Amino acid sequence: MTARAEFIGRIRRETSKTPGLFPATVAERPADPAAAVERVRRQLAERWPQAIRRFQEEFERLAGVFHVVPRMDQVPAVVGRIARERSVRRVICWSAAALGADLGEGLRQEGLDAVPMPDGIVGEPEARRLRELSAAAEIGVTGADLAIAETGTLALISGRGRPRSTSLLPEYHVAVFDRRVLVETVEQAGVVLEAWHAEPARSMSGGAITFITGPSRTADIELTLTRGVHGPREVHAIFIE
Amino acid sequence: MSESASTSFPQRAARAIKDEFLQQALAIATTRFVNSRNEVFQAFPQGEALRDRARQIKEAVLQRLDHYLEQLTDNVERLGGHVHFATTAEEARGIILSIARENRVELVVKGKSMAAEEIDLNEALEHAGIRVAETDLGEYIIQLAHEKPSHIIAPAIHKTKAQIADVFAKELRHQVAADPEVITRLARGALRDKFLQADMGISGANFAVASTGTVVLVTNEGNGRMVTSLPRVHVALMGVEKVIPSMTDLVVFLQILARSATGQKLSAYTTLVRGPRQAAELDGPQEFHLVLMDNGRVKQLAGPLREALYCLRCGACLNVCPVYRQIGGHAYGDTYPGPIGILMTAMLRGNGAVKDLAHASSLCGACAEVCPVRIDIPRMLIELREHLDREKIAPWPERVIFKTYARLLGRPALYRLAGPVSRLMQRPFVRQGRIRSLPLLFRKWTATRDLPPVAPRTFRERWGELERER
Ligand code: SF4
Repeated sequence: MTARAEFIGRIRRETSKTPGLFPATVAERPADPAAAVERVRRQLAERWPQAIRRFQEEFERLAGVFHVVPRMDQVPAVVGRIARERSVRRVICWSAAALGADLGEGLRQEGLDAVPMPDGIVGEPEARRLRELSAAAEIGVTGADLAIAETGTLALISGRGRPRSTSLLPEYHVAVFDRRVLVETVEQAGVVLEAWHAEPARSMSGGAITFITGPSRTADIELTLTRGVHGPREVHAIFIE
Repeated sequence: MSESASTSFPQRAARAIKDEFLQQALAIATTRFVNSRNEVFQAFPQGEALRDRARQIKEAVLQRLDHYLEQLTDNVERLGGHVHFATTAEEARGIILSIARENRVELVVKGKSMAAEEIDLNEALEHAGIRVAETDLGEYIIQLAHEKPSHIIAPAIHKTKAQIADVFAKELRHQVAADPEVITRLARGALRDKFLQADMGISGANFAVASTGTVVLVTNEGNGRMVTSLPRVHVALMGVEKVIPSMTDLVVFLQILARSATGQKLSAYTTLVRGPRQAAELDGPQEFHLVLMDNGRVKQLAGPLREALYCLRCGACLNVCPVYRQIGGHAYGDTYPGPIGILMTAMLRGNGAVKDLAHASSLCGACAEVCPVRIDIPRMLIELREHLDREKIAPWPERVIFKTYARLLGRPALYRLAGPVSRLMQRPFVRQGRIRSLPLLFRKWTATRDLPPVAPRTFRERWGELERER
């Protein structure tokens, strides 16, 4: 292995040998990302009905299943219906704090084996148990930290009470969100990303952000589209109006 | 590499052209990719401006590559990750092997990584007694079949579903239906166990964001997420040129990458990872390592192949290339196929490795037209040919022909004479309006080329006649 100073030093020498192919600049970042996000939100305050319609259109084009409910406490009923239609009952979900509501009781009333993920730090044996539960669960319920209308994309930040595997291991992923996380374009999502990273300690308690655009898919065999190769084969979005 | 050592490029190309299935598979796949790409860009008018922007960003990054790599390193370390520096392929393998040994790794799950292919990482790990599972479905098929990928983004493009079913049947020791759905289910089951058991995940990186210390993986299957969520160690291997400054730059690239590669607006998963799992997290790796690799790239910063360092590995230039569409990826005989592959092979293995490959292009410019960062591949191929000529790596009959031609062009009197003289000399060799082979020293050169004969009347002769008629 090469030492950092030597490695970077060589690159510095090589870069200084040439002015490059043409004068070029990198993309201009928002000077005040928080204010830029605020501007996006203000636009959305009026436009959100169009934006969510666009989201639905794009999401369904990707074979996503879109649901609307008026209130959070109606989410368990939707999950219950999804489970019954697919004859499954093992559900894992983000913690109550991460979801903004305790769905555990409601899901159990739907006849589901629901296991919310813990908020605190757990020991190794408990972590292993939860991992086995997650691997065996058929449905994973999460929130979403960003929904992009233009592409039908959901973005999830990992962290406390919000494991990466909840949206990954189960066959069916159900994401719950409301208009506060809605943006119209990928470019606007970039502004939100800048804002999150301007204060990472405040906005993210975990190390991963995942953008999910439809179910897991492959076309590696004769270009035939096949869903659910590793991740979920169905993605549901529940929008709380 | 193994195949290229035993056969020449013309031999491999000839074999590919005779392979009927390959011809059909290539035609269907490349046509589909090209059509999807064109449709999605037509519906995205801002795409053209974004391509210009992306090209600028890549150039601007190379101009201050040292700065961005320093920043990336600092940020990854601040997040609790480790950064390693590999000047050569051997160093990169050594680094990853020692991480594996320190962590007593027995099973590795791998996401799709061209950089890992480039350094033959699987062989090195297996040689050290570590089991490796490729997890991208295409790569997994290729691994089970003991082959090499033939396309940057669709590695098993050259195999039929029947062939793939056979490969699985052999591995699983039971009958497998030749149905993509069935095969995919089987692969899901087999690989799911491996994800859950593996000690270490290895991935490439589509981008690394310097200002945040983020490694970005773009996948459709979700294996990139598995590799970065489940094993206790995650190693990301990337060429130094993959660094970009900020999240704002990232979204510029994301908007054109999937569109160019598969015609999707975004791939199913874009995973942004910042270091190892944080204190509050239940899953994610306990250790994170980033390996920054040179392997021939750095000397091109001021070299003739600099522009090839912009490449996003989207595969669009393969799909439109009339040569790739005829011969497929294996004929190129190295890690990176297609037009960009010729340049990458020259970068990694030197000009001598591409003396035939440098001519595997019609210079039609289709690649530059679709490249999301508008890399001028034809320009670099022409320069490469000039180099081969100057370094006398090109076959000498070819050098003689072009030298003679250059002399003729420079001397009008000689050139006038050349018309009638060549007509006389070519007479025995013209068949059905083409020169298909020449004797003696030129036989080898014409073995793979047809030439148009010198016309019955040259342009100058006809011009002369027209002048006289007036
Ligand atoms: S050269 Fe351009 S078109 Fe070809 S793979 Fe790289 S980015 Fe894509």
